[in-house]
Amino acid sequence: MLSKSDLREFFREMLLIRRFEEKVEERFRAGELPGFLHVAIGQEAVAVGVCRALEEGDIIASTHRAHGHTLAKGTTPNELMAELYGKLEGCSHGYGGSMHLYDVERGNMGANAVVGGGLPAITGAALAFKLRGEPRVGVAFFGDGATNIGTFHESLNLAQLWQVPAVFVCENNHWAESTPSWQHMPIEDISQRAVAYGMKAVKVDGQDVEAVYKATRRALEHARGGKGPVFLAVNTYRLVGHYIGDPQVYRSKEELEETRKTQDPIEHLRTKLELSGDEVEEIDREVQEIVEASVEFAKNGTDPKPEDALKNVYA
Amino acid sequence: MPELSYREAVRDALSRAMRDDEDVFIMGEDIAEMGGSMGVTQGLVDEFGPERVRNTPISEMALAGAAIGAAMQGMRPVAEIMYEDFLTLATEQIVNQAAKHRYMSGGQLTVPVTFRTQGGAGWSPGAQHAQQLESWFVHIPGLKVVFASTPTDVRGLLWSSIYDDNPVVFFEHRTLYGIKEDVPDELEPIPLGLARTHRQGEDVTVIATGRLVHEALAAANEAEQEGISVEVVDPRTLLPLDEDALISSVRKTNRCVVAHEAVVRGGFGAEVAAVVQYGAFDWLDAPIERVGAKFAPLPFAPVMEEFVVPHAGDVLHAIRRTVGRVDGN
Amino acid sequence: MATEVKLPRLGQGMESGTIVKWLKSEGDKVEKGEPLYELDTDKVTQEVEAEASGVLLKIAISEGEVEVGRTIAVIGEQGEQVELAPSEPAGNGSAALEVSGDPEEEGSPARAREQDRARGRRASAALSDQMAEIRQPAGDNGGRIKASPLARRIARERGIDLSAVAGTGPDGRVVAEDVERTAASGAAVALPAPALPSEGVEVQQLSSMRKTIARRLTEAWQAPVFQLGITVDMSRALPLRERLVALHGEGVKPTISDLITKICAAALMRHRAVNALYKGDAVELYPTANIGIAVAVPNGLVVPVIPGCERKSIAEIAESRAALVGRARGGKLQQADLDGGTFTISNLGMYGIERFIAVLNPPQAAILAVGSIEDKVVPVDGQPAVRPRMELTLTCDHRAVDGATGAEFLRDVKAFLEEPGLAL
Repeated sequence: MLSKSDLREFFREMLLIRRFEEKVEERFRAGELPGFLHVAIGQEAVAVGVCRALEEGDIIASTHRAHGHTLAKGTTPNELMAELYGKLEGCSHGYGGSMHLYDVERGNMGANAVVGGGLPAITGAALAFKLRGEPRVGVAFFGDGATNIGTFHESLNLAQLWQVPAVFVCENNHWAESTPSWQHMPIEDISQRAVAYGMKAVKVDGQDVEAVYKATRRALEHARGGKGPVFLAVNTYRLVGHYIGDPQVYRSKEELEETRKTQDPIEHLRTKLELSGDEVEEIDREVQEIVEASVEFAKNGTDPKPEDALKNVYA
Repeated sequence: MPELSYREAVRDALSRAMRDDEDVFIMGEDIAEMGGSMGVTQGLVDEFGPERVRNTPISEMALAGAAIGAAMQGMRPVAEIMYEDFLTLATEQIVNQAAKHRYMSGGQLTVPVTFRTQGGAGWSPGAQHAQQLESWFVHIPGLKVVFASTPTDVRGLLWSSIYDDNPVVFFEHRTLYGIKEDVPDELEPIPLGLARTHRQGEDVTVIATGRLVHEALAAANEAEQEGISVEVVDPRTLLPLDEDALISSVRKTNRCVVAHEAVVRGGFGAEVAAVVQYGAFDWLDAPIERVGAKFAPLPFAPVMEEFVVPHAGDVLHAIRRTVGRVDGN
Repeated sequence: MATEVKLPRLGQGMESGTIVKWLKSEGDKVEKGEPLYELDTDKVTQEVEAEASGVLLKIAISEGEVEVGRTIAVIGEQGEQVELAPSEPAGNGSAALEVSGDPEEEGSPARAREQDRARGRRASAALSDQMAEIRQPAGDNGGRIKASPLARRIARERGIDLSAVAGTGPDGRVVAEDVERTAASGAAVALPAPALPSEGVEVQQLSSMRKTIARRLTEAWQAPVFQLGITVDMSRALPLRERLVALHGEGVKPTISDLITKICAAALMRHRAVNALYKGDAVELYPTANIGIAVAVPNGLVVPVIPGCERKSIAEIAESRAALVGRARGGKLQQADLDGGTFTISNLGMYGIERFIAVLNPPQAAILAVGSIEDKVVPVDGQPAVRPRMELTLTCDHRAVDGATGAEFLRDVKAFLEEPGLAL
């Protein structure tokens, strides 16, 4: 199904996300970025694998860790970086920031700072698609931590009950901020959560972008075909802290080292594609240029006027 | 002119909207065959079918949130929250999501969802089934809040709420469902943000909402016997508030009473009093009186319930107090 | 190429951190990702990793508090020359980022962010000034005077006409201070009062009874007063009174108090300075003696006034007195009964009080306190004799009446009581 050149595309995309996130970390530490920032380093394969599987018209809703999803769904690095810098050219025009990235035209219904906050709307969007007879699917991203909150349970229950075309992508990176999953979940197999609602659940290796892509394609087909929603239990790893600057005092150094060495999805794909050092360097140079350019773009962007704060409250 | 009850007026607005527009659908707990806990949606499932008249599980977050999601995709859902008290469960979605999507996206989204709910004391429903929480939502930028008190008003305002492109929290009052009134043959949409003067007067303005509009009118009749001429104004839309109408009325009468069934402290009346005080400071001949429920959860025993909840008599006392007082005394 | 190691921002709201210790020394090889130094932030002490590989060429700041963005070290190639501007650590515990001089380079991110925020705050402050206009009555008040509730109350209590007061409050509103100032300046613009038929005398409209009394008594405390005491031999007065009682017929029985009232009226006509009201910058002398009689009533004290006592016979005074006391005790006194007093007599003799000092009844210039009539042993022609004696105490407002004036008056009162014919 996926050609080598498709996979090379994925590699480039993932590396772009990686370099973008590293640049965000760098700029944050330099004190240039206001607010809270959560980078998705280690989870690039999930973003790319899922978003690349979507069709035109499909929509996503994301979480506080949204940069990867947003880029993978088609928002340009320029627009994203400009948003992080609070500029009018940003995808949310300076109104949202890192945790409220929206790109409605490209099908991104918004990142959400409330854990599980975006799930009910995906159930609702899928309902709208069904009522209108549109062949579109709503895809929600969320983490293992979110499977504990009310909105998760209510959204899955309702989605399955009404058989709406939705795909619930759980990025299980085994941490809810500083709380390991064994400390927040009484079960080990997170896919059980969906089974409780009678929903089809699929386990996926989140560090293998090809596996993610394939699983997503099948899930979309299921949902789009009117067979009801699907829960993807994607196993992945967070190679950094919860937020930029998080010293991860709660995580063992050895575990972190080990995970970084063995669970890097970009490394996995590079190995699978047997890319040479030169090839990687070329791609790397290209994406780094794009990322650098996005910082320039953002820094030269337009500041909102203070009074702009009172616009967009009402339609 | 047909005579419609408040309940029928709500149903009429919903039906006409659903007939006119495929994008309008309703969802809530027990709204289909049962026709809703208050019988408001009686018969709608027969006309429009279960796809557009949807029973939901007891899931206020998903109920509200799904409505929001569908609205974000361009539909105009009307979600019913069975009891106003359960708004508390849906509040995260209403406040954090519906109210803010447009803003946080920098104007990319509209969320034309309407949340209908009902509340009110009078039949010993107990503390968790009778609250009046409208003031919480008046506090949230991005929301609109409506509270109609008559059949004509509720019909025209519900229609306008459905077709407003912003999320609207639409309050109905349980004990008003049965009141009847002649309404125009054709539904006349009433713009949001417009107050209505029920009764002209010279001596004191009573600004009242919901059930207290009727209590205020009764009190005004009594006051007339005592030689006090009372003007009764219903804001109808609490957010955005028709400040001009309220302020001009008080500039005319020089005295103001605010009356609502909700608890006085921190209630919507406090906002109105502040607005009126600011806009009519030099026209006020007496402090502004607030009438509302006493500061306690709603008791069950009828004798206690009646004590806590405000009535025409309380409005009358407040009216008298405003005229008995002179400047600064 | 050497890289400058700058203190990173490691969390929202972090503006500075304290370097605890370096984990590498100058000259050491460093790998990107290796822990380089320990940093103490508000929340936690943590290791900070190197962001570049190379040799740690220079440690610019070895320890202490450092602002985010400051260069603390340089990593580069062996042998590279490094030029660093001499810099010292921020100093002990001075986390001040807001103001502070040089450590913040022009265009540093922290400064830029702070400037952004300052810009937002300024815009907001400017806006709220404008917002005040939105709901303010524009211009036309429809005839209503703009005055604060407090100002209105004070004006009412002091009898000041608001329209004559210049307002210095918001929007030119009259505020309490403005009213106080007008009252104090004495150019007290009085409220227009209904004219009473009285020759050459201006009478002031009074407010409620109790407030007036309280206020007057308070004011009395502020008046510089003096008291004069005298003892009267009542040997001639008592039989005179009995004679009048025998003659009174159907009318009210005259009392010693009525006699004293008449005598005082006669004395007041001879000593007009005592029949006066003190008015701040003027003393008003009255052509007629309107004498107030202090009457105890259930809720306190009232002082109804018998007007024109110098023209009235003792019998007429008695009639007036009886009627007024009756109304006072029944709570039916009218404002007119209380108005216009020029002098007050207070008699506690019936309680056996021999002497007391009455409190001035402002704005009247004087008040007479009458004690009980007691038999005392006094020298008459060198021999002890028993005589009925009564003490009188006159309290005067020294701003209107001086000692001699008061003494002359009191001496005449005594003379008239002891030899009534002198008053004719």
